[in-house]
Amino acid sequence: MQKIMVVDDEEVLRMLIEDTLEDLENVEIHTAENGLEALTKLSADHFDLVILDYMMPEMTGIEVLQQLDEEKKSTTAILMLTAKAQDVDRIRAVEAGARYFMPKPFSPMELLQIVEGILSGEGK
Amino acid sequence: MVKESKANHSIKNKYFRIIVFVFSLIIIMGTVFFIFINYEQDELSRDRESLQNKADTISEMASTLNDVFFRARGFTLLKDENELKLLNVALVNFDKILDTYSNLNLTSEEALFRDGLKSFYVQYKNKTLPEAIRLVEADNYAALRALAEDGSTKSVNDFLTYTKEYRLRSDTELNNMALDYIKRANEFTFITFFFSTIILLFFTFMIWRILKNLINPILKLEGATHSLAAGEEILLGKLKNQDEIGRLYTAFLNMARSIQDKEEELMMQNEELHAQQDELQDQQYRLQRSLSEIESMMKALNQSSAVGILTDKGVFTYANDNLSKYTGYKNSEVIGFTYKLLELYNISREQMQKIFNKLNTGGVWSDELQILTKDGLPIWMHLTIVPYLNNDGVIYQYILIAYDITSMKSVQLELAETLKNTEQTKKMLELNNQLNHDITYTLDKHEFADKFIQFMHHLYSFDSSFFLLVKDKIAAVKGIPQENVERYLDNENNEMLYRLKTEKTYLIKRLATQSEQGISANEVYCYDFYTTVVNAEDEILAVFCGSRIGHSFSKEEINEVQGMMNRVALAIERLFMYEEIEHGRKLNRDIVNNVNEGIQFVNTEGMMLQMNKALCNMVNFEWTEGTLIPRKEWMDYFIECSNEKDKLWLFFEQAIAEYSLESSSMQYSIGTEPMKHIDVYAIPVFRRELRIGTLFVYRDITREYELDLMKSDLVSTVSHELRTPLSSVLGFTELLLSKTMKPEKQLKYLETIHKEAKRLTELINDFLDLQRMESGKQQYITEHVNLSEIVLGVIDQYKLSSTHHVLLVDEALNAEVDVDKDKIVQVLTNLLSNAIKFSPSSNEVKVLLHNEPDHIIVRIQDNGLGIPKDQIGQLFQKFRRVDNSASKRIGGTGLGLAICKEIIEKQKGTIGIDSVEGEGTTVWFSLPILNAEASRQQDELNKWNADKELKPNVMIVEDDYSLSLLLSEELKGKGFRVTHHYHPQQAFDQALKTPFVAIVVDLMLGEELDGWDLIRMLKDDSRTENIPIVISSALDQSDKNQLNDVIQKYLTKPYPPGELSNTLEEIVKIKTGVGEVLFPESKKHL
Repeated sequence: MQKIMVVDDEEVLRMLIEDTLEDLENVEIHTAENGLEALTKLSADHFDLVILDYMMPEMTGIEVLQQLDEEKKSTTAILMLTAKAQDVDRIRAVEAGARYFMPKPFSPMELLQIVEGILSGEGK
Repeated sequence: MVKESKANHSIKNKYFRIIVFVFSLIIIMGTVFFIFINYEQDELSRDRESLQNKADTISEMASTLNDVFFRARGFTLLKDENELKLLNVALVNFDKILDTYSNLNLTSEEALFRDGLKSFYVQYKNKTLPEAIRLVEADNYAALRALAEDGSTKSVNDFLTYTKEYRLRSDTELNNMALDYIKRANEFTFITFFFSTIILLFFTFMIWRILKNLINPILKLEGATHSLAAGEEILLGKLKNQDEIGRLYTAFLNMARSIQDKEEELMMQNEELHAQQDELQDQQYRLQRSLSEIESMMKALNQSSAVGILTDKGVFTYANDNLSKYTGYKNSEVIGFTYKLLELYNISREQMQKIFNKLNTGGVWSDELQILTKDGLPIWMHLTIVPYLNNDGVIYQYILIAYDITSMKSVQLELAETLKNTEQTKKMLELNNQLNHDITYTLDKHEFADKFIQFMHHLYSFDSSFFLLVKDKIAAVKGIPQENVERYLDNENNEMLYRLKTEKTYLIKRLATQSEQGISANEVYCYDFYTTVVNAEDEILAVFCGSRIGHSFSKEEINEVQGMMNRVALAIERLFMYEEIEHGRKLNRDIVNNVNEGIQFVNTEGMMLQMNKALCNMVNFEWTEGTLIPRKEWMDYFIECSNEKDKLWLFFEQAIAEYSLESSSMQYSIGTEPMKHIDVYAIPVFRRELRIGTLFVYRDITREYELDLMKSDLVSTVSHELRTPLSSVLGFTELLLSKTMKPEKQLKYLETIHKEAKRLTELINDFLDLQRMESGKQQYITEHVNLSEIVLGVIDQYKLSSTHHVLLVDEALNAEVDVDKDKIVQVLTNLLSNAIKFSPSSNEVKVLLHNEPDHIIVRIQDNGLGIPKDQIGQLFQKFRRVDNSASKRIGGTGLGLAICKEIIEKQKGTIGIDSVEGEGTTVWFSLPILNAEASRQQDELNKWNADKELKPNVMIVEDDYSLSLLLSEELKGKGFRVTHHYHPQQAFDQALKTPFVAIVVDLMLGEELDGWDLIRMLKDDSRTENIPIVISSALDQSDKNQLNDVIQKYLTKPYPPGELSNTLEEIVKIKTGVGEVLFPESKKHL
């Protein structure tokens, strides 16, 4: 069983991502509505993939990544999902340790494909 | 101390100590030696004695033994008893001697010998003798002979031989010993001799040392004494020793020095005497020479001057040839006559008296005088008269020396004349110089004109003059009434100029006017001199006119003045030029200073020559026009201010550098809060190919910079804000399209899509609204409105809200404002919905209205989430929401408050937020009221009332907002504080919290509860049963029945509002306040 965590402050978007990924087999989906919650959950458990929103109140996605230790970053794939889709933001995300990057608005099917790819070990 | 140290350094002591030491050493050594010798001798004699003793003992032993044998033989032979007895005695003796011998100090050989003897003795005594005796007794001589031959006799003989040998040996030994002794004695004698020799040598050395120590310095001293006697320099060093000789040395040296000093002094005195003598001789020589000089001088004097000798009475006794030559009198004509012969010319009595006085007191008189010669011609003489005094101090004769200075005198006079002329010329020159200076350095035209006039007056003594600068009509006058000048300028100016155009200079001779004539009795003529100053183009620059009364102008003067005018022309042209330049400069400066951009000019060395006001203000630098600021100073200041120090430094350096030929620019910032952004560009400045410096232009681009920043920030935020709902819309649509799902889910998705799309629309609308407002395109239609009414109207829309109850506390007496009603409604709606949205756990929102001077304040108060303090300030910015999860869940576009702020500020109002996180938020805005003047008076009144007692609180429970407004306006006017409620339950709760003087109730309220229910609730509760209630309602008869004697007043709708307030006032006045329920007395219709 593989574990995914969806971190987004917008409930609607969490729902959208959850529903998109619900058909994946052998996958457990968790959610967190802010960075702090995500960090708490990450320290308690292992996740194969974290889908992380960039713009969140109190703590941005980048800040979450900065607080995450290197070991976690190497074992957990990070997909940065963001409405800030300029090159600068992309570079900043990659520098912080996000391996994948997807701009908002996104296509759920494309997201599904990417997630499937990540989980099956592609690009690892 | 000193004595002790002296004693230490004394020779006596030193050598005394050494001698004592050596003596003691000798005595000790002699004693030791003596004892040693004694001991040795003792030893030797003792040895000898013992040896002697031994020898004696042995010889005695031998004799005793011989005796024994003798007696034994005797006995054997004689058989005499007596012999036996003697034998026994001899044996006893022998035994004794043997014992004595045994006790002696024996060598091993001797001990052997002793043992042999002893054993022999024992053998003999105990065996042989008794045997012998027995044999003798038995007369067995054969046996006896055998016994004798047995060997005992042999051993006795051996023994005797040994004894003899021993004796010989001991003698030899004794001899040896004596020899040894002598040898030893010899040795000792030698040692003693040697020792004595050494002591002698030592003493000799000591004496030599002492002599050396004593003699050497004494010899030196002797030498020094000789040289002292010979008067030579004493070359004696100081002796190191501090002993008697050393001291003697020092004393001698001191003595020698003092002697030498004295000697030198004496020598000097002697030399002085010599010098005096020389001088005396010299003087004598000089005197002789002087005498001869005087003689020759006398000769010379006789030849050059006139010399005469007069008696004390003034009679000539001698006159030389020169005197006759000068005066023309012959010698004979002079001698015997008094001095009066020579008539003094041009001399007064007093002067004569003075001369006599001087001479009579013995003084020498000398002066220049004119004397008449015999021919009656005056000649100039230099006279010197010397009185001669006899020993009693009485004058006995005068000597007169005179020489002719007539020619010199005439030259002198000529010279004085020339000097005077020169002086005048000098004065002229000085004046000219002054004029030159004045016209060169005076830059003000008025000053110039004044100075010129003064100069002319000074030079040509005009009585009155006038100088006019034609172009500027600047006139300087002296001695001319103002009206004349004006007349000249106004009327005749042209005519005058006309004539002057043709004639550069002319002279007018006219009769003097009365004032000019003054006190003169005769008719006087006045001369007016007109001249012009023309430039190269023959244009008249200035006119000068001067008048003299009774005194015309010479041709020279006229020429001179004309020449001067040419110079003045140059000066005036220069003045014009200067003015033009100055004007241009000022114009340039004004232009530079009024430019918004900062401008700075720096020369090639980096020296700052110019900076304009805008730059001074921009960088806050003090600069006064004309000061030069060195490169380092201004650059350091500019760089220190900036936040990009290194970059700016590099920019300046490169821009100023001579090789940079192109303009460059950079942007930098100054300060932190607030930060100024500056764009500076540098332009190299050339004058005819030659680089003369660099021009820096600074532009404050803070606004542009911030706008840029804001714009990009806004774009990024807007894109984010738009992308989030778009994500939902697109995402769910795609899910719907690509997945099969239950209809409920489809519906849910569709709802979400709709909601998000709506949010998107709202966002875009808000954004466009704000954009329109900010760009100033929004039209505001202002009208007269009552803010209380608007507030009530908006609250009315929330009446049906199930979650929150909106309460209005209205204290505003003057709510008249001039605003755009729709916009204010928008603001209120926005703020109210915010308040409701952000207080999810509370059920009440309070709206308060009150007046402040010139303003009305509306406060919307909730008990909700509140806002963190640090975020309050940002909330009016676009897309700023309270940044935490709780408020995020609530949502919103983040533009509402920005829109409110925009609207309120456009209506000349202010808006603000007070909030405590977790306790609630109050958003307030204030708007200027109309008729501020009137309301202020009202305020005063209210304040006065308020001072006396608190405003009575009245609650209106009414669901029709227009009626409620009507009532509240009336009540507020009477000084009540009105609280509005539309819900019976909330009103009741409020009544429990706030002490009301009365409650006005409408019976027809909502659906669940009505007015009656409220009245009942109030009456049933002990806390509220005493509050008077006024019913304001359309009441029918059946309702009246319900009153049950509890209602005091009852107002039937519609009724004039005055009715209600009167009723309430009554209640307050009488303070019945005991739970009456009132009804209206009058049922008059409005």
